[in-house]
Amino acid sequence: MALSGMRGLSTFISDVRNCQNKEAERSRVDKELANIRTRFKNDKGLTVYEKKKYVWKMLYIYMLGYDMDFGHMETVSLISAPKYPEKQVGYIVTSCLLNENHDFLKLVINTVRNDIIGNNETFQCLALTMVGNIGGRDFSESLASDVQKILLSNSCRPIVRKKAALCLLRLYRKNPDAVNVDGWSERMVHLLDERDIGVLTAVMSLLVSLVAKSQDAYWSCVPKCVRILERLTRGQDIPQEYTYYGIPSPWLQVKTMRVLQYFPAIEDPNIRKSLFETLQRILLGTDVVKNVNKNNASHAVLFEALALVMHLNAEKEMLSQCVALLGKFIAVREPNIRYLGLENMTRMLLVVDVQDIIKKHQAQIITSLKDPDISIRRRSLDLLYGMCDVTNAKEIVEELLQYLTKADFGIREELALKAAILSESFATDLDWYVDVILQLIEKAGDFVSDDIWYRVVQFVTNDEHLQVYAAAKALDYLDKPAVHETMVKLAGYLLGEYSHLLARRPGCTPKDIFDVIYDKFAVVSIGTKALLLSAFVKILLHSQPQDPDLRERVLEIFKRYECSVDAEVQQRCIEYLTLCAKGPSMVDIMAEMPKFPVRQSALLKKAGDAERDVAEESATKLRVQQQNSTALVVVEPQSNGAGPPILTPSAAPVQKKQASPSDLPPSAHPAALPVGNGHTEVSAVTAEDVSVPSLPEDPVTEPTPPPEPAPAPSGANLLADLLAPLAIEAPPGYAAPDSIVDSSQDPGPSAGTSGLAPMQSSGPADALALALYDGPSTKVQPIGSVEDWFNALVIKDSGILYEDPFVQIGIKSDWRGIQGRLVLFLGNKHNASLTNVRAVVLPPPHLRFKSSPVPDTIPPRAQVQCPFDVFCLRASRETAVLEFSYNNGNIPVSAQLKLPVLINKFLQPVTVSANDFVARWRALAGPPLKLQEVVRNVRPMPLIEMANLFNSLHIGVATGLDPNENNIVSATTFYSESAQATLCLIRVETDPSDRTQLRLTVGSQDLTTTYELMEYIKQQLIDTPPPTMVSPNVPTTIPTNSELTGPAALLNGLI
Amino acid sequence: MPVAASAIYFLNLRGDVLINRLYRDDVGGNMVDAFRTHIMQTKDLGTCPVRQVGGCSFLYMRIMNVYVVAVVSSNANAACAFKFMVETVALFKSYFGGAFDEDAIRNNFVLIYELLDEIMDFGYPQNLSPEILKLYITQEGVRSPFSSKAIDNKPPVNATLQVTGAVGWRREGLVYKKNEVFLDIVESVNLLMSQKGTTLRCDVTGKVLMKCFLSGMPDLKLGLNDKIGLEKEAEVKSRPTRSGKTIELDDVTFHQCVNLTRFTAEKTVSFVPPDGEFELMKYRISEGINLPFRVLPSIKELGRTRMEVNVKVKSVFGAKMFALGVVVKVPVPKHTAKANFQLTSGRAKYNAATDCLVWKVRKFPGQTELTMSAEVELISTMVDKKTWTRPPIQMEFQVPMFTASGLRVRFLKVWEKSGYNTVEWVRYITRAGSYEIRC
Repeated sequence: MALSGMRGLSTFISDVRNCQNKEAERSRVDKELANIRTRFKNDKGLTVYEKKKYVWKMLYIYMLGYDMDFGHMETVSLISAPKYPEKQVGYIVTSCLLNENHDFLKLVINTVRNDIIGNNETFQCLALTMVGNIGGRDFSESLASDVQKILLSNSCRPIVRKKAALCLLRLYRKNPDAVNVDGWSERMVHLLDERDIGVLTAVMSLLVSLVAKSQDAYWSCVPKCVRILERLTRGQDIPQEYTYYGIPSPWLQVKTMRVLQYFPAIEDPNIRKSLFETLQRILLGTDVVKNVNKNNASHAVLFEALALVMHLNAEKEMLSQCVALLGKFIAVREPNIRYLGLENMTRMLLVVDVQDIIKKHQAQIITSLKDPDISIRRRSLDLLYGMCDVTNAKEIVEELLQYLTKADFGIREELALKAAILSESFATDLDWYVDVILQLIEKAGDFVSDDIWYRVVQFVTNDEHLQVYAAAKALDYLDKPAVHETMVKLAGYLLGEYSHLLARRPGCTPKDIFDVIYDKFAVVSIGTKALLLSAFVKILLHSQPQDPDLRERVLEIFKRYECSVDAEVQQRCIEYLTLCAKGPSMVDIMAEMPKFPVRQSALLKKAGDAERDVAEESATKLRVQQQNSTALVVVEPQSNGAGPPILTPSAAPVQKKQASPSDLPPSAHPAALPVGNGHTEVSAVTAEDVSVPSLPEDPVTEPTPPPEPAPAPSGANLLADLLAPLAIEAPPGYAAPDSIVDSSQDPGPSAGTSGLAPMQSSGPADALALALYDGPSTKVQPIGSVEDWFNALVIKDSGILYEDPFVQIGIKSDWRGIQGRLVLFLGNKHNASLTNVRAVVLPPPHLRFKSSPVPDTIPPRAQVQCPFDVFCLRASRETAVLEFSYNNGNIPVSAQLKLPVLINKFLQPVTVSANDFVARWRALAGPPLKLQEVVRNVRPMPLIEMANLFNSLHIGVATGLDPNENNIVSATTFYSESAQATLCLIRVETDPSDRTQLRLTVGSQDLTTTYELMEYIKQQLIDTPPPTMVSPNVPTTIPTNSELTGPAALLNGLI
Repeated sequence: MPVAASAIYFLNLRGDVLINRLYRDDVGGNMVDAFRTHIMQTKDLGTCPVRQVGGCSFLYMRIMNVYVVAVVSSNANAACAFKFMVETVALFKSYFGGAFDEDAIRNNFVLIYELLDEIMDFGYPQNLSPEILKLYITQEGVRSPFSSKAIDNKPPVNATLQVTGAVGWRREGLVYKKNEVFLDIVESVNLLMSQKGTTLRCDVTGKVLMKCFLSGMPDLKLGLNDKIGLEKEAEVKSRPTRSGKTIELDDVTFHQCVNLTRFTAEKTVSFVPPDGEFELMKYRISEGINLPFRVLPSIKELGRTRMEVNVKVKSVFGAKMFALGVVVKVPVPKHTAKANFQLTSGRAKYNAATDCLVWKVRKFPGQTELTMSAEVELISTMVDKKTWTRPPIQMEFQVPMFTASGLRVRFLKVWEKSGYNTVEWVRYITRAGSYEIRC
């Protein structure tokens, strides 16, 4: 290069290289930069030589990683120099220092264009290279046609045309219009006839980009591509300089095959045949040789060919040939090749059905699992996981378990997870599954996440035959001297639940089992202790007759931990102590946990998450997809931190309470309880949803009179509103009440889903439900008023939408700006499956719904979640309707339900300062942006209540803005897709002497929003029932106009 | 006694270990790699002297071209560790003859290992006094058995007695032909002044350094014109304090040789000095400070490519005194290309590595005013970066025989049993600490 003879430059470079440390280097560079600045600023100007030298220095400093924020002018000016050396420096440094967004580049477009259309080939090359590196949109607009001309011209030398093709590629990427010329595809076809391989490679790069976007126009290129491929593989007419280690231009081969992959399978039999012949040649001709570079090249070609084979859905024979080839690869010692072999096998698994062929190599793959190279181990683990099915599951899982003890720590968790998933998915008998998991915990307890043992619990609970076996096994494992904590958890849970099933066996008396568990009690963490406490109480209460000695010891533990620092442990101890004191009547509370609804394994999801960053198409992902399609019920993963309440035994009520927001009365906390009379003691025992249903059975409490039929629904409604979301969130929450109620009135529908229905259902309501069940011909009626539920949901985000004896629909919604997410909880309260379930939303024009499929069947006592996404397009008062229908046995039931997706859900209160408000208010001149109306027949209510109503409608009330205290002023933002965020201002002027009329003014920037909001508020003011959240004591707190807000007035307003 | 360090490393600027010593097993030998990769190679080296990486705390300081790093894994006393490092460096300097850098370390491996063994035990600092250590760790290290020089038959010094005795810092039986005491009061002035000339922060940290060449076991007594001492004296002698200036000292710390009981009782600084050089006391003063220099800067940005800098510096100490090595650093923007100066005295140039104009005046007489005006040309840059932050002007100087605090030595008395005559030399010097003026 032109470096020779520049002494200043080479001294500078050697100075920098000789620097001992970063600091010295920085100070040297700073000095040089100052020098360059001084030189550039020099009034006398620079000689060409100096300019060149300093620009080179700048480039060197820039390459060392320092900021370069001056001198670009000098650099760019070199481009227009007439001589080659300067031009070259200018082009090189410009393409390094600048990027396409710099304004400086605009200055040189013209010079560059002159170089491109000029006659000097070297200048053409320099210019094309620079544009190919940093050309932006501006270049694309002004140069595209010139570059095309060069590419198509016959007079230019190949080296220029090559650069032109690459330059055009860049321009096309920056601006797809660059090749948007009529007949370009024909020209591309024409270009593919080119004999020069260099030009061909560049053109092929361009073609890859073009067909990636749209392949339709380029169909005619396919035969040409096949011919090129043929020519290359045959090695005909390939100049020496384009063969790389004897392989004819591997780059062009790879690119050509990449192009072919963009087209759907080729139909033309002739082309197909010749293509397959070519591929066959590649497959057969590739082998592992010693030379690394040759290997790299030939393997790149081979793997591209494999991808093409998979893409073309080739015949089985060819596929097996591929697998055989890969089998050869994974037997090689060289790790890189093995890695590639394994990876491509995994990829083949995904695309085509070659499992059987791959299985032949299982032994070899398992050997790779013991490879010293971790990336190979990972790949083979992936492959094993992918190729596992019922036939080889046992073998593979066995292998994984063995490997687990030797695997590195980084991979163990994934390994444990995968072993758990495989054993679950392909278990032929569940005993084996339990064995595997127990071994897993024993061998790598630290790496077994909670989800794995939760899953075991689910299986054991749902399979009665498994329970005895699992309990016995758990006891065996727990009896060992050193036991991992996860094992203690699992075994503690299983023994707590099912130890009574073992009672007949020798050495399995409750006391023995207790001893075994208690052995580990001292050394486990608090959370596990809490779990074990539940196990103890279950063991104690399940043993009939109770061993007084055991009882003594268990109670002693409870007493000891009664004042534990941990609130959970403390609460459990106190509750269990009281339970034990109640005696055998409490046994039912500690009955076995009911079965779990069928649910998707959380493990698969987790495995999917873990995989996501590894390979974009991994076997796990595919498997997840397969599982998804067959899964009946999709349960969202537990989002709150309270852990899976599903799985902790009698802790379910307790945990549920923790998971709930503060809307449970504080009396649920033991500390706040007055202990003394039997009633409150009972409610201290468990969360109140457990204690309430047990009331009638409690001998201490005076029998409560059966509730009046009339108030029941409203009371239930209120409570249901409070509790429904909880009950829905924690499906097995109904476990405890169920186990009590069921014992007396099995197989009745018992309406246990919400955990509170028994409260009124112990009386007439339940009888009604039974009657309904007995007489199948009776039409199914909702329990309660659909209208009331809807009205409650208007101002709340969660609650019950619909409930009848068989099904309960809860709703939970979350609103953010223009979009919202609704989740429908379809709960089957019934003991049989509900079939033919349909839930279709009929959206009004102003809303857009994105729904997820609803499963056709809801299993007994299961709950299904259907999420919907809602987008608000513009304001409207219309509501969406949910068409819900299902078959109970053979009886079709259907209901049309209004969904509470109203204008107010898309509102968000804002706080506005007084000045701001006034300014905006004035800016809205009048109709149609600002509407005013006197509203009559308003339901009379005090101002505070109205303010509350506004607040609950998300219309924030701005207090203190209006000097008149009888007025309410509020501001809120309405979000919709058409108008984005619209600020709405509302003013209500009330008349203290006549509460039935008021003047309402609404203003916003958008006229439909103004109108719709106005109408909506009017509607709410005139006929909303008293919102449930306003407690009856509100009127009394406002003594001023009590005569108007009395109950009579309220009634009046209602009528 | 808290643990100070589990290991000590000496690294060069590239991060190579020059020498190290592990004192406890709780840190691995490879922890220094963590220091290199996580601390040295990041930009925040130098912003915080204590960093935690992988459960270990790294306490480090840079001296010349050496990083001294203490590694601890327990909850150690950081102040103790730093004090230990500072003392260690001082000790090495006294052994190496004043230099402490990479080469000095490389040339003294054996000696350093010997010293490192001695000065810390299981992470607890031991005696670091060079006077004492030199008794039993000789500078020569290993002595050749074939040495022609006969081993002098001096009775071995009773090191144990020395260390455990009442005056652990001074050897008995020292004899000098000429008995001399040198006393230096060295002060450094820290100042931050706003653009308008109001003082934002100003304090003086000073130390009293001594060098003693005295025979026997002398007892010294030092009197300063500080407030407590004078008041006490006035009380004892029941006469009013003299009208002169009294200085209030904050945060006084003494060398271990000072008799603290007598200080609390009589407020006099009396001590039996160690032999040679030592730091007698340190103090801080935050009120009544005489600033040696006033600086009046004016910096005007004229358009995007020109700046005018005008700095006027006025010395306000006595006309007979003078300041040495005055350096004024006026920061300029990063893209400065050229500067033309007009000076009344000294030399000035633009330093690109630190981005400032450096004006040096070798000798600056008292009660004079010097100015520097410069025309700075800037180069135009690609991007309009955010406006220049205008860092403060910095100043360096030394003013001999001047104390910014006004502290004076009133007397320095020496008593010895033999009653020899001593010569006392007293010097004052004021230096710039961080002397900054915003502009």
